[in-house]
Amino acid sequence: MAIIDLISSDVIRVPVKSVTKTEVIRELVDVLDKAGKIKDKDSVYNAVIARENMGSTGLEKGIAVPHAKTDKVKSLTMAIGIAPEGVDFDSLDGEPSKLFFLLLAQPDQSGPHIEALAEIARITRSASFCRLLLASENADEVVELFTED
Amino acid sequence: MDGPVNRIMVYVDGSEQSITAAQYAVCLARSTGAELYALYIVNTRALSDLVNARIFLQAEQEEYQHDLESDADRYLQHAKQMGRDKGVAVKTLKASGTVNVEIKNMVKDNEIDLLVIGELSKIRSRRDELYNETERAMRSVPCSVLMVKDEDYVLDVYNKLT
Repeated sequence: MAIIDLISSDVIRVPVKSVTKTEVIRELVDVLDKAGKIKDKDSVYNAVIARENMGSTGLEKGIAVPHAKTDKVKSLTMAIGIAPEGVDFDSLDGEPSKLFFLLLAQPDQSGPHIEALAEIARITRSASFCRLLLASENADEVVELFTED
Repeated sequence: MDGPVNRIMVYVDGSEQSITAAQYAVCLARSTGAELYALYIVNTRALSDLVNARIFLQAEQEEYQHDLESDADRYLQHAKQMGRDKGVAVKTLKASGTVNVEIKNMVKDNEIDLLVIGELSKIRSRRDELYNETERAMRSVPCSVLMVKDEDYVLDVYNKLT
């Protein structure tokens, strides 16, 4: 499964309203909850926070990839959040994070989970694509960016 | 035996599509009499990439590698059982590395003449970054490739096989 199969406008939040790391994670978990992608949002939130407590997934250049294994999803699930103003996510370079990719997978789906994370790593290496994502004004524009040909 | 298809290999990665592909491969092996191999690749390349990208911690890499090894054993056993249920012997193969490279190597090493894979995502983007490892393998292996579609049809065919 490619991450393009996980993207639809109901799992994208533009702009993210939260201003702290934990609030961003909560907001994106809520997005997945409203989209019917998860069963127990508190359990999912706790799983993501537990992973963050091991080390921040705030990378460089405004990218954050919070992720967790949880049995509260039926299959591989992703939410995307865009915060043009940036949020302190304890990132590697100390810069605020602006693009958030929250990825959840069942514990026995490690293969697809890892391939999806690797795919996110690849697309976020493209500075121009990240700039376009950041300039998106709504969820539909984000979907179009991923699907345009 | 010596027909157009003598050695089939199905690539299983734990996805539902790959399990459907394994069911179909069992049916094909039964009807052609070909030998059937099931292959799982522990994607250590992606694990390394994730550590390099700082998405994974070192401890996380080890945890996921362990998970992948367990997945490999579980899914390969599942494929073996699917074959056993239908009277088809399934030989299991496991490798580590870059998925598309290892599939290609296994096809060559085992003289496979038909690679069976699960359905790939529909082409919805031409972005170079959104490629799929299995798609790369499909393009690079020297043998013919069969992509299995229609999960319901395949399950029906598999279930009817006595």
